[in-house]
Amino acid sequence: MSIALLGINHRSAPLSIRERLSISHGEEGKILEALKNIPHVREVMYLSTCNRAEVLVNMKPADAVVEELKAFITARGNLSPEEMERCLYVYRDEDAVRHLFRVASSLDSMIMGEPQILGQVKDAYRLCVRQKTSGVILNKLLHHAFSVAKRVRTETAIANNAVSVSFAAVKLAKKIFGTLDKKKVLLVGAGEMAQLAARHLMDNGVDRIIFTNRTYENAVKLANNFHGFPIEFELLEDTLGDVDIVISSTGSPDCIISADMITTALRRRKNRLMFLVDVAVPRDIDPDAGKIDNVYLYNIDDLQGVVDENMESRLNEAREAESIIDEEVARFSEWFATLEVVPTIVDLKTKTEDIVRGEMKRSHSWMKNLDGEERENIEILVNSIVNKILHDPVVGLKRESRDGEADPYVAAVKKLFRLE
Amino acid sequence: MEMIFFRIALAAYFVSTAGYISSLFVGRVRVAKLSMWVFSLAFALHTVCIVIQWTGAASTPSANIYGSLSFTAWAISGAYLAFQTKTKTRVLGAFVSPAVLVMMIAASAGLMGGVSIPPTLRGPWVPVHVVLLLTGGALFALACLAGTMYLLQDNLIKSKKVRGFSRLLPSLRDLDRINHICIIWGFPLLTIGIIAGSIWARTVWGDSWHWDPKQIFTAISWVIYAALVHQRMVMGWKGRKAALLSIIAFAGLFFAFIGVNVFFVTIHNF
Repeated sequence: MSIALLGINHRSAPLSIRERLSISHGEEGKILEALKNIPHVREVMYLSTCNRAEVLVNMKPADAVVEELKAFITARGNLSPEEMERCLYVYRDEDAVRHLFRVASSLDSMIMGEPQILGQVKDAYRLCVRQKTSGVILNKLLHHAFSVAKRVRTETAIANNAVSVSFAAVKLAKKIFGTLDKKKVLLVGAGEMAQLAARHLMDNGVDRIIFTNRTYENAVKLANNFHGFPIEFELLEDTLGDVDIVISSTGSPDCIISADMITTALRRRKNRLMFLVDVAVPRDIDPDAGKIDNVYLYNIDDLQGVVDENMESRLNEAREAESIIDEEVARFSEWFATLEVVPTIVDLKTKTEDIVRGEMKRSHSWMKNLDGEERENIEILVNSIVNKILHDPVVGLKRESRDGEADPYVAAVKKLFRLE
Repeated sequence: MEMIFFRIALAAYFVSTAGYISSLFVGRVRVAKLSMWVFSLAFALHTVCIVIQWTGAASTPSANIYGSLSFTAWAISGAYLAFQTKTKTRVLGAFVSPAVLVMMIAASAGLMGGVSIPPTLRGPWVPVHVVLLLTGGALFALACLAGTMYLLQDNLIKSKKVRGFSRLLPSLRDLDRINHICIIWGFPLLTIGIIAGSIWARTVWGDSWHWDPKQIFTAISWVIYAALVHQRMVMGWKGRKAALLSIIAFAGLFFAFIGVNVFFVTIHNF
């Protein structure tokens, strides 16, 4: 019994190779099936995201099985032997456990601390449960991985800081407005960053997004995508008074929103706070607007500055997270190690139970004269003697296995009790 | 009897203060949550203490400055806890709790059971006057605190320093709302409290207005608060200016409450 993890990720392989190994929808079951059919593979899970493809197996501990798995992946991804050597990593046992824990905790992600990966691991696990390709070991391992991810999330601040510009903008908006419910957003232009920010804002519950663009059709198109409202570009100035957040990303060479326009808007909205995000280069919003009371203006460099600082603190948090992972890997390994003695213990118990049953049968002739209660008492007595005798050896085996030195004892028990 | 509750409450305030302040440095929500519960416990004990004081009638909060301090601390705690349930602004506790603790320690110096009430302070208007003004003062203290935090947060966001300390502070909107509500509720209390005082002053001093320094400073603060309420309600003032004005007004009120007794001769010397 041995755990192995084979895979490629964004660090080991370029996108061109990663995409060859990603699963298309509906195909997942077949792959699990094929992997499960490899001899000596007992349990298997396949994790595929845009940044990684990994196979996690519980198998008979043999290099031959690993080679078979490698061959399977190579064939599936149509990799050359050279590519396989360069891109594919193989982790065994404790290293495999650690890698899985790191992946689930988002320490191995391209953007460290991003929250999606845990959901993706959960999906992969759910699938293998549905396909019945998971058993005792993978169940335990995955549940452990989920709890590790939760621990990392709650005990370190790894996921607390925004590390993308658009997400940083959302965080800032929350710092100003508390919640984003019932907030209105005006999106000027159609820059990619602005769209990302709009997506984030929608996810955080803003009430409505108004789109405007010099080309009205583009505003309509975007509004349809985001269930927002398009307005003519000429109405921009009048609309400013109605919105709480403005995100601007036009390609205009000059400022399109002046400080005066903001002052007027602020008067119309009775000084309610305004958050202006200018992700355009060159800038769309007059920097002087940021000096007005109750107006907060961030341009792309300001946001990038926030992100950079956050990145730094994330690395510090990662160190803390790694020590949590070490701790949990040790805990899992302890449990896993006791497993190697479990079959022996089960055999031992089965054998003694068989002996008890046989002897009881042989004594049936004289025992049948006893009444039911007496017979029961004899059975209880016999069982408790057997259990008492077995107790110390069983505990001893488990203890030795925790230290990883159970092999000679297992061999001895098997030989002495003739368990083969 | 009430002193036992007072002392345990004092100890609990101490623990919650330590907890709140350490939560600032540890940056873990759990510590702040725990501190909040300890603080609530302290408030409950404090409430019992005050109820016993009142029903015992040996000493109302109006009896002396120590009783007043204890009562004000109690009112601040209560108002803070009320906001705590409405907005998730636990970090405010890291500022409220130490302030309450200091007031409680000051109060404990002189709050030693029953105090006899001087004859001029006997009358139905006295407790009304004192309780309203102290409760109003407590609300204004919270408004001032929220205003200070608002200015800090505003400054940090404007200067693009949104990490570190800024993360601990509540959002601008929450702070502005706390400031707003405290001012709106504190103002009528202050107004009625002053009227109650002047009615009573008429009966003992024969005159409702004395040009006493304490009265003058209270009146100045009242005018500022009145302006602030007007600006907020009618002119739609929000944010920085309102926060700033609430701090200035509270400075005046604070001076009227404590400072006047130190720097001026006043007939209102209780």
